[in-house]
Amino acid sequence: MNRKKDKAFESPRPFKLTHQVVCINNINFQRKSVIGFVELTIFPTVVNLNRIKLNSKQCRIYRVRVNELEAPFIYNDPTLEVCHHESKQRNLNYFSSAYTAAVSAVDPDAGHGELVIKVPSELWKQDDLKVLKVYIEFSLDQPKGGLHFVVPDVEGSMAERGAHVFSFGYQNSTRFWFPCVDSYSELCTWKLEFTVDASMVAVSCGDLVETIYTPDMRKKTFHYVLPIPTAAPNISLSVGPFEILVDPYMHEVTHFCLPQLLPLLKHSMSYLHEIFEFYEEILTCRYPYACFKTVFVDEAYVQVSSYASMSIFSTNLLHSAMIIDQTPLTRRCLAQALAQQFFGCFISRMSWADEWVLKGISGYIYGLYLKKTFGVNEYRHWIKEELDKIVEYELKMGGVLLHPTFSGVKEKDNPTPHLHFSIKHPHTLSWEYYKMFQCKAHLVMRLIENRISMEFMLQVFNKLLSLASTASSQKYQSHMWSQMLLSTHAFLKSISNVSGKDIGPLIKQWVDQSAVVKFFGSFAFNRKRNVLELEIRQDYTSSGTQKYVGPIKVTVQELDGSFNHTLQIEENSLKHDIPCHSKSRRNKKKKIPLMNGEEVDMDLSAMDADSPLLWIRIDPDMSILRKVEFEQADFMWQYQLRYERDVVAQEESISALEKFPTPASRLALTDILEQEQCFYKVRMQACFCLAKIANAMVSTWQGPPAMKSLFTRMFCCKSCPNIVKTNNFLSFQSYFLQKTMPVAMALLRDVQNLCPKDVLNFILDLIKYNDNRKNKFSDNFYRAELIEALTNSLTPAISINNEVRTVDNLNADVRLILEEITRFLNMEKLLPSFRNTITVSCLSAIRQLQKNGHIPSDASLFKSYAEYGHFVDVRVAALEALVDYTRVERSSADLQWLLNMVQNDPAHYVRHKILGMLCKNPPFNKATDSALCNEALVDQLWKLMNSGTSHDWRLRCDAVNLYYTLFGLTRPSCLPLPELGLVLNLKEKKAVLNPTIKPELGVSSVMDTPASIGIHGVGMSYSSVSGVPSMGLKRKAETPLGSPPEPGQVLQQQEEDARGGRYKIRFNTMEDEDIDMETVHDSQAFIHHHLNLLERPSTPGKEPPSVEQSMLSMPATPVPSFPKETTSSSSKHGHKKKKKKHKHKHKHKHKHESKEKDRERDNSHAYSNSPASGRSLRSPSLSD
Amino acid sequence: LDPGRHDGTGSLLKIGGKAATSPAENYHLARRRTLQVVVSALLTECGFESAEKAAVETLTEMMQSYITEIGRCAKAYCEHTARSIPTLSDTVVTLIEMGFKADTLPVYAKRSQRMVITAPPVTNAPVTPKALSAGQKRTHPAHIPGHFPEFPDPHTYIKTPTFREPVSDYQVVREKAASQRRDVERALTRFMAKTGETHSLFKDDITAFPLIAAQPSTIPYLSALLPSELELQTLEETDSSEQDDQTDSENAAGNIISDDPGADKENSMLPPGGVVPSAKASEDNVIDNPYLRPVKKPKVRRKK
Repeated sequence: MNRKKDKAFESPRPFKLTHQVVCINNINFQRKSVIGFVELTIFPTVVNLNRIKLNSKQCRIYRVRVNELEAPFIYNDPTLEVCHHESKQRNLNYFSSAYTAAVSAVDPDAGHGELVIKVPSELWKQDDLKVLKVYIEFSLDQPKGGLHFVVPDVEGSMAERGAHVFSFGYQNSTRFWFPCVDSYSELCTWKLEFTVDASMVAVSCGDLVETIYTPDMRKKTFHYVLPIPTAAPNISLSVGPFEILVDPYMHEVTHFCLPQLLPLLKHSMSYLHEIFEFYEEILTCRYPYACFKTVFVDEAYVQVSSYASMSIFSTNLLHSAMIIDQTPLTRRCLAQALAQQFFGCFISRMSWADEWVLKGISGYIYGLYLKKTFGVNEYRHWIKEELDKIVEYELKMGGVLLHPTFSGVKEKDNPTPHLHFSIKHPHTLSWEYYKMFQCKAHLVMRLIENRISMEFMLQVFNKLLSLASTASSQKYQSHMWSQMLLSTHAFLKSISNVSGKDIGPLIKQWVDQSAVVKFFGSFAFNRKRNVLELEIRQDYTSSGTQKYVGPIKVTVQELDGSFNHTLQIEENSLKHDIPCHSKSRRNKKKKIPLMNGEEVDMDLSAMDADSPLLWIRIDPDMSILRKVEFEQADFMWQYQLRYERDVVAQEESISALEKFPTPASRLALTDILEQEQCFYKVRMQACFCLAKIANAMVSTWQGPPAMKSLFTRMFCCKSCPNIVKTNNFLSFQSYFLQKTMPVAMALLRDVQNLCPKDVLNFILDLIKYNDNRKNKFSDNFYRAELIEALTNSLTPAISINNEVRTVDNLNADVRLILEEITRFLNMEKLLPSFRNTITVSCLSAIRQLQKNGHIPSDASLFKSYAEYGHFVDVRVAALEALVDYTRVERSSADLQWLLNMVQNDPAHYVRHKILGMLCKNPPFNKATDSALCNEALVDQLWKLMNSGTSHDWRLRCDAVNLYYTLFGLTRPSCLPLPELGLVLNLKEKKAVLNPTIKPELGVSSVMDTPASIGIHGVGMSYSSVSGVPSMGLKRKAETPLGSPPEPGQVLQQQEEDARGGRYKIRFNTMEDEDIDMETVHDSQAFIHHHLNLLERPSTPGKEPPSVEQSMLSMPATPVPSFPKETTSSSSKHGHKKKKKKHKHKHKHKHKHESKEKDRERDNSHAYSNSPASGRSLRSPSLSD
Repeated sequence: LDPGRHDGTGSLLKIGGKAATSPAENYHLARRRTLQVVVSALLTECGFESAEKAAVETLTEMMQSYITEIGRCAKAYCEHTARSIPTLSDTVVTLIEMGFKADTLPVYAKRSQRMVITAPPVTNAPVTPKALSAGQKRTHPAHIPGHFPEFPDPHTYIKTPTFREPVSDYQVVREKAASQRRDVERALTRFMAKTGETHSLFKDDITAFPLIAAQPSTIPYLSALLPSELELQTLEETDSSEQDDQTDSENAAGNIISDDPGADKENSMLPPGGVVPSAKASEDNVIDNPYLRPVKKPKVRRKK
């Protein structure tokens, strides 16, 4: 296994970076441009270091000097355009492998980079290893990624306008704004200088040493020094007219916010020191950096991003003392940011495969903070929520693998065949997957804690931190700094040293393998033997599941008390006998002891007289990543809800009770609702369950609508029960309940499936009598929930032969609702609420009214709210409505409008969000036919992911996701049929219909669809077969023996069979070849990659630049290179399709010309960031 | 002669250009027309065959003034002698006073060539509108004779209490407060909707449920994050005075910065306004934060 090897860190580079200077001396807000230089001090680790590969994207590089000597360089970014040639290939398998290859080709963790600098021969031809200083001048003009400029379009100077700029990115994205080694594992010390307008502040990593005016006194230069070795991805910058707040508790902490927000900043940050204290205490370690800065910016990419000694937050996290709901959210974000300062920024990861450790630890200590601040209930609730999330995701999408091991030799070796993207690089990962990855990582850390105890866990962290801080204070020595890099291996070793326990099986189960466990449990009570016969079955065949073998805890609450049992889940034992302690019903009067030692009276009349069992819980501590479906009688669930003190148990029983709509369930839920000691989130959940039960019991329901009398009792005036008390939100628990109950009540339906009239009137009265004048807190979230309640009360309109909706035939109730919404929405213009929550609710209400046919469906309102210039929450709400509109109305114009916004909107978050929402609520999907699905759309989306989103990894992956959602992995069904119709299967000696033509039957059936790539590749297909061992075998070996194959595996096997029998070439009637795309291309990539590796050192800068460039760019774009090469090789085979070949050559010629023009423009340097130019030169060079 | 005449003509002249419609105006117009006829007749008598309209107008005006003056003087004389209605002798004295030989008047009146003018059309004299009477007029008390003027309307001299017993019933109060606020909000939003651009949810009737059009703002986060003035106000009301002071000073600190960017720029050597003083006030020790340090002057040799 890979992990065994990485004991000592081996740099993939032939040099070591020791120090880097970044100097940005001009930031132009008007033009959105940046000019500066970097100077990297590198120490060669091999003699004859003749090339230096660095990362740089979208920067324009003017000159490169190495030790004062001009050095030629080549700039080639294969990720700009992933698939080059204009083939009609439009399948995602092809794209994904090409994209992975492109990312690999410039992966700094493999020692690659976009920028290749030729070291002048004077410098490397001597034998001694001398320090090299690489000086690079660069500029950025209107960067699309890396740096984000926010320049409000108003009068005044840039400072008055609140213009600011900040760095951002997903994972290692620093290369977008200055040339560097963009790897988390290449640490160096930093000197950062930023010259900005005198009215602005530049905040960056490290210690601000001094601020000096420029000679003309109109600008000032901020000098930062970061003496702690830090990786380039952890460097950030933000410049703006920030207001400065020195933390009153910790003077080395400084907060920055945009003009006018200082009061909010003061309030929001008043809590930060407690988080600091907490982490320093549990880790028994000082905060590693000398200072900490928080910057709050507009249009943030993510809510929280952590960099060395600073964090950049979304300005929307700031709030005043009047806001309840935002406070815990903001504190959580602060705590997350700070946890990542220790693990993520200070301690960095060794490789991408070790990412889980850092995310896991930071997530884990963040969880400890949650436990301390918000209480154990909140913590356990959060763990359950996270567990449910990851279980749901894995069961739906397939497993999430924390520690992918790549055997390194074969690119094709994909440990996660069920995914439509590669998990080999962070940049090819879908955002959703990455979120789940983080979620799983911290859950696994918790599992480790369960195993070795929290004390040991914290000792391990402390050890890692002290090792790192010792290393960080050292001057550069060859291997010391690598102590600051954390690998899976080092982490596990540390755990075994500290705790002496072997957690190997745990790691193997949850870290080296993907997927979760799915249990089904049921039981019977054997009265004669007084034994509980528990049956626990597993589903490990469906996707996203794995088999669990090992201990499992079962808690049984009997009449005499609560007992824990640890059972062993083994290969084929399903049944477990658990002896019971109590005889059934010996003393009725006795109090019943609970798990926590409490003794309670219970009304035992509901239970089975023969059995002493009150309730049973499987894995109550959530020490397995699992989903449990347990069957027990309704009264047991009710007892569990009422008397079990664990919030997780209560929540589980609430969701189970949904299936038991009986008066007893109703009573149990109502009791919980009324119980003030009960955790408020449980009570909130009980509201919704009660609504569901009430609806199921609609014909037998007695009394007023569910929750109405309860709400009246809790929140209405004693003298006049129809009027709600004036708001007083001092008790947050009842505030949250007051917010939730109307929303749940509105879900009630009567026999006609309408919302009962008195419920609607009740909600309208709540709105009418809502009075916040005496309240210390803002009621905007409450009012927003009331609007949501109105929305929930809507039911589809009765429509008579599709008449057009007019004002006159508006339902009377709906008219009332609409009036409220209109008034709310209009009032919001005059008195906007915090984060415009009311507008957000109103927009979704209007969409619901449209969708239910009460008012005419119309997108123009949403479009106007979705425009740039509204508050981001409002935009997202409007866009969500638009996405829904697009799906329901199948409007291609609106889909275009959305896609247009994806391409052009200034706010990165909004672009990301649109694609995310389109994936969640797609206008159509691969299984359905739709008029929207046409060739133009395929082309558009293809272009979007192929070249349109090269500036933002996250967005590109979003686009890939959307493409997958809409068209699946294979050729989109709306494209015209490929020319080949039949495929000859030589092994089975029969011709089959080309699988690309077959309609897709679901993911599983199409994994092995050979895509047509037209005439190219006659010869190549042979070579690739011989060159590549079959991958299916490898994967199969990894799965446990005897387990039924996963869907993906089955296909791999088919693929393999087919490969063996078909000899890779399938002739068809149209005399085209059909080759197995995936394999061939991957092998191609691999071969080129290695050829290139071999060739590079032996050709030290003597070949003409054109050849050199083509060669160097080859690993970058191995896949696209394939067809070109085969053009030449197919000429040897010399038969078919002269015409097409001719056309192809013509294209080459054309590109030659364009390249020449490029070269003229860039005269001296071989500078070109055009992928087209890089490609055009390749084929001649290869045919030579 | 009517003493009120003067005022009447005055207003007549003012509105002369407009089409007079009210009865009072009709009345005055008729009189004036008669005067014009008289003037024209006199001119004819004097041998004029035609006259410019403006001349006729001027003469009419002169004549009217003259007659008015006679009326005014006569009334003055009559009031001098404590009477209220002028007599013939008052008029005669007036004429004499104005330098008119009163004895020539009968001869002139009976001259042979005089023209007979038709009597002016009978128009109703304008009715002076009744003063609005409010309340019951009080009758005179016993010690005041009946011929004394009546009491004026009670509201002109009696304090009328408009105070009503406040409704203390909680339900009604809440009801009222709620509907009042709702009415205000509705009226306000309707007004805003009517005066500005709107969206409409229905195509057939764009005035139903008008929504004020969404206007993108240049810095959207400000209005979304900062509490509105109303909220601040309620906060101040509900908060204890201690907290009040705090928020006030905080706001003031914020305002200094935002209000005065120019000064801020100049003073940027100093830490941005507000932060240091307040921090210093709260803490005795001096905060050494690099962002609060003064910006250094460039060294002469330094080259960038």
